[in-house]
Amino acid sequence: MFIVNEIIVLLASNLILMQALGTSTLFIAAGSRKQLLTTAGIITIFTTTGSAAAFVCDKITGGEKVISLLMYTVSVGVLYMLLLSALYFFSRELFVKIRRYIHISAFNCAVMGTLFTISGKAAQDSALMHFGSYVGAGLQAGAGFVIAALILSAAYGRLCSAEVPASFRGFPAMLIYLGIISMAVYALS
Amino acid sequence: MKERKTSVFDGLLADNTVLSSLMVISPVIVCGDTLRNAAALIAAFSVITFFSVMISSFVPRKIPYAARIVSYAVISSLIYIPVRIAAGEFWPEAVERIGIYFPLLAVNSLIVFQTEARFFRMKRTNMVLSLVFYILGFDAVMLVTAFVRELLAYGTINSMMTDTPMLISGLGKPFGGFIFLGMLCGIYRKIRSAAGHRKEEEQEE
Repeated sequence: MFIVNEIIVLLASNLILMQALGTSTLFIAAGSRKQLLTTAGIITIFTTTGSAAAFVCDKITGGEKVISLLMYTVSVGVLYMLLLSALYFFSRELFVKIRRYIHISAFNCAVMGTLFTISGKAAQDSALMHFGSYVGAGLQAGAGFVIAALILSAAYGRLCSAEVPASFRGFPAMLIYLGIISMAVYALS
Repeated sequence: MKERKTSVFDGLLADNTVLSSLMVISPVIVCGDTLRNAAALIAAFSVITFFSVMISSFVPRKIPYAARIVSYAVISSLIYIPVRIAAGEFWPEAVERIGIYFPLLAVNSLIVFQTEARFFRMKRTNMVLSLVFYILGFDAVMLVTAFVRELLAYGTINSMMTDTPMLISGLGKPFGGFIFLGMLCGIYRKIRSAAGHRKEEEQEE
C-alpha cells in the first residue's frame, strides 16, 4: 500500500502530467526509447543538482522573484559546463554519444520549472527551506519525468503507427495521449 | 525572391512555433485558458523573445557551442528583469495568475536552441522578419486556444458572460489543454496537407 501511495504522490506531483513542464523536451527525445530514457536520466541529474544550487541562490537572494531567474540560469549554466567537461575528461567516446542529450536537458521548462516550483513551495512553507528538502524535491521531479517518459515510450510505437490517421500521427496523438493520462492522474489527485 | 518570402513567413503558418515545432507549449497548455492570461503571455513572450534573439545574434560564433547556449539563456534572463518589473507595475494580477510560466518564457527553446538552427543562419534583415513571424505564430495560436477554451470551459469571452449552451469545464484544466492542443495540431496538419495537395495539382495543370 505504501508503494502504491508513493506512486500516486509521484504521479500527482508530476511536472509533465500536471503542469505540462518539459513536454517539448519529452517530444524531442521521443524518437527512441533509449534516447528518451537517457534524456530523462540527464534531466534528473539537472533537477537534483540544480535544486541544490537553487537552495544556495534562494539563501543569497532571499527568494527575490525578479532576479531568481538570472541566478538559476547562471547556476544551471555552470552545472551544464561542469557536466560536459567532466564527461569530456572521463570518456571522449561517451561524451560524443551523449552530449546532444545534455544540450537539450540543461535549459528547458522541466529543469527551470522544477527550481521555481520548489522555491515557491519553500516560500510558502518555511519548513521546506532546507537543503535536503530542495534536493529531495529535485530528485522527485526527475523521477516524475522518468515515469512520464516510460508512460510515453510504452505507447510511442502505436501512436506513430500507420493505424493512426496521418494528420494525428506522432505529436498530435502524443499530446492527446498525455492529456488522457493527465486526466486520469487529475482524478487520482 | 520567392524563396526569401516563403522562409520569412514560415513561422506564422508553415512552420508554426507551437503547432509544427511544438515549442513553448507548456504556457499554452496550462495558462492558455483565458484571454486575459493569453494577452499577458503574448506581451511577455513577444518582448522577451524579440530582444533576446536580437541581442544574442551579436554573440561571436567563435566561442564553443555550450558557452553560446549559456550566454543566450543569460541574455534572455537579463531581458526578463525589466519586463518582469514593468509587468508587475502594469498587470500585477496577470503576473500572479501566470506564476512560474512567466520566467519560463525567458528560457524557451525558440531563444535558447532555435536561434542557432534557424535565425543566425539568415541575413539580419531576413532574421528580423522571420523572428517577428515566429513570434506572431505563437501569439496567434495562444489567442485561438485561449478564446476557444475560455468560451467552452467558462462560458465567457475576456471575462464577459455569454450564453454558451454547454460548458466543458475540463477544457480549463491542463489535461484539457493537452487534448485541445493535440486536436488543434491535427487539424493544422490536415489543412496544411490539403493546401500542399492543392498547390501540387495547380502546378501539374
